Amino acid sequence: MIDLRGLSRHYQVGDQVVRALEAVDLSIPDGDYVAIMGPSGSGKSTLLHLLGCLDRPTSGSYRLDGQEVAALPEQDLALVRSRRIGFIFQFFHLVPRLTAAANVELPMILAGVPAAERRRRSAVALEAVGISDRAGHRPDQLSGGQRQRVAIARATVMRPSILLADEPTGNLDRASGTEVIELLERMNEEGLTFLVVTHDPEIGGRARRVVRLVDGRVVSDGAPA
Amino acid sequence: MSLLDQVRFALQALRGHRLRTALTLLGMGIGIAAVVLLTALGEGARLYVTDQFASLGSNLLIVLPGRTETTGNMPFIGGTPQDLTLRDAEAILQRVPRVRRLAPLAVGTGRVGYRDRRRQMTVLGSTSELLEVRRLTVAAGRFLPAIDADRAAPVAVIGRTVQRELFREENPLGRSIRIGDWRFRVVGVMEGKGQSLGLDMDDVVIIPVASGLRIFNQSSLFRILVEVAAHAEIDAARTEIIALLKERHNGDEDVTVLTQDSVLSAFNRILGALTLGLAGIAAISLAVAGIGIMNVMLVSVSERTAEIGLLKALGAAPASIMQVFLVEAALLSLLGGSFGLLAGFGGARLLAHLLPALPAQPPDWAVGAAMAVSLGAGIAFGVLPARRAARLDPVTALSRH
Repeated sequence: MIDLRGLSRHYQVGDQVVRALEAVDLSIPDGDYVAIMGPSGSGKSTLLHLLGCLDRPTSGSYRLDGQEVAALPEQDLALVRSRRIGFIFQFFHLVPRLTAAANVELPMILAGVPAAERRRRSAVALEAVGISDRAGHRPDQLSGGQRQRVAIARATVMRPSILLADEPTGNLDRASGTEVIELLERMNEEGLTFLVVTHDPEIGGRARRVVRLVDGRVVSDGAPA
Repeated sequence: MSLLDQVRFALQALRGHRLRTALTLLGMGIGIAAVVLLTALGEGARLYVTDQFASLGSNLLIVLPGRTETTGNMPFIGGTPQDLTLRDAEAILQRVPRVRRLAPLAVGTGRVGYRDRRRQMTVLGSTSELLEVRRLTVAAGRFLPAIDADRAAPVAVIGRTVQRELFREENPLGRSIRIGDWRFRVVGVMEGKGQSLGLDMDDVVIIPVASGLRIFNQSSLFRILVEVAAHAEIDAARTEIIALLKERHNGDEDVTVLTQDSVLSAFNRILGALTLGLAGIAAISLAVAGIGIMNVMLVSVSERTAEIGLLKALGAAPASIMQVFLVEAALLSLLGGSFGLLAGFGGARLLAHLLPALPAQPPDWAVGAAMAVSLGAGIAFGVLPARRAARLDPVTALSRH
């Protein structure tokens, strides 16, 4: 359960204050499927970063499952990211020197999961995204769609409750983009809260709920038009 | 994140940039190899000198005319000392009971010839005791006869080089050689001993000391080599000899008595300082190597900004990120250090092989210190890049590709 109250994020750029996010109120129940849409610079990514605890709000409250996370020290935020949040990026962000399996193991290495269990869980996660046969390949030996599948396996291997995706299909062709989004939707159906930031109205249209941002403010929130 | 995983992760990262890693390792390796090799040289020089003095025998005192202001180094002569005579030597032997034996020594150079071959050579005048005092061995014939020190006798013992050059294949025993205008009969040939305290013992002619003083027209002995019964008595013997000679020389303390220990410890101090100096020079290259590591780690951090952002998004705490980069820096320096150690030891071994007289052997402390310094440098110079990595803002880091 995500609960935002009066959440703002301001940046100082030179002598100007940029209000990337202004007094956002938002509640997202567990298992929801939300698309965050809006023009460039509307604050979509800022909102996603705040939700993912990569960034801190200037003011306002962010309660995750009842816990106020906006004020947590960096150490604890890292723990929240490790255990409760999975990230998927437009440019995949796989570590190029590591194999697909090793990339999936990365969050478990950081969390201190023993090696044997890591191997087992990484195999299961790769199986779930349908690319077990590519486990030993490095990212440059994989297609875009395959890379994003590895990234999804990596984002879900720690069994988070929230999956945050920033333009997950932005760098993929239509066919593999659709496959990736269908994969993510399947995971949402299994109970994962899924938030996707996108420009693409077609992707947005698939969500259960669309939050529109303009100039850092929520202008509409509801079922897709 | 366990240490093993950090090491594995760091190794993967280092493998990802083979050339850069190799060059950094080379830098650190050269630094460590320099420390090992230079200290090995210094230590080798020290051992070489120590060996030279040890071959004197540790119970040895050297009495020489003239007074030096300090003990230890070579004497410089103050005032006009009285002669050091055979009578003085006799008195020492009789009146200082701690003295086991002694050998008076007169030295000169003379033209030594046999038939039509002749050459300028060092001639030592001494007694039969010299054999024991200097631990010499006779290869053929016998040494000087045990006659009174003040008796001249036309007999000579020659070194190996002298034999080869004057006699070639001929048997020298019983032959007569000329030293200046005097004739001496060769009674013995010495075993090869080589260089000892600046004198090539293979290239000398040894004759009775009284004969030596006469043909060189000298009144004073060059040295008296005194051997005491036990090493523990050497200081007491020294005091007694000085007191005795002072009494004999009308109350003037005009002789110097060197002990092997005093000379040795002076050389030890000098050469120890030399080794330390060489280590200091080598340490500079270590510092340079450390800065090299810092450089590489800084480049690595800025190149891997996106990766650091990713690690943070995947739940890495700042401390973990810092550790990852510190471990990487420490591995670079440790690996480089190990290569350097191998190269240094290999170099020292090669040096010892090429110059057998110089026992080039890196001292243990230098090896330990070099490794500690390399690891320390790696970590110290790794802190700055690692902190930079740990403090990266994940949002900005992730937006870089």
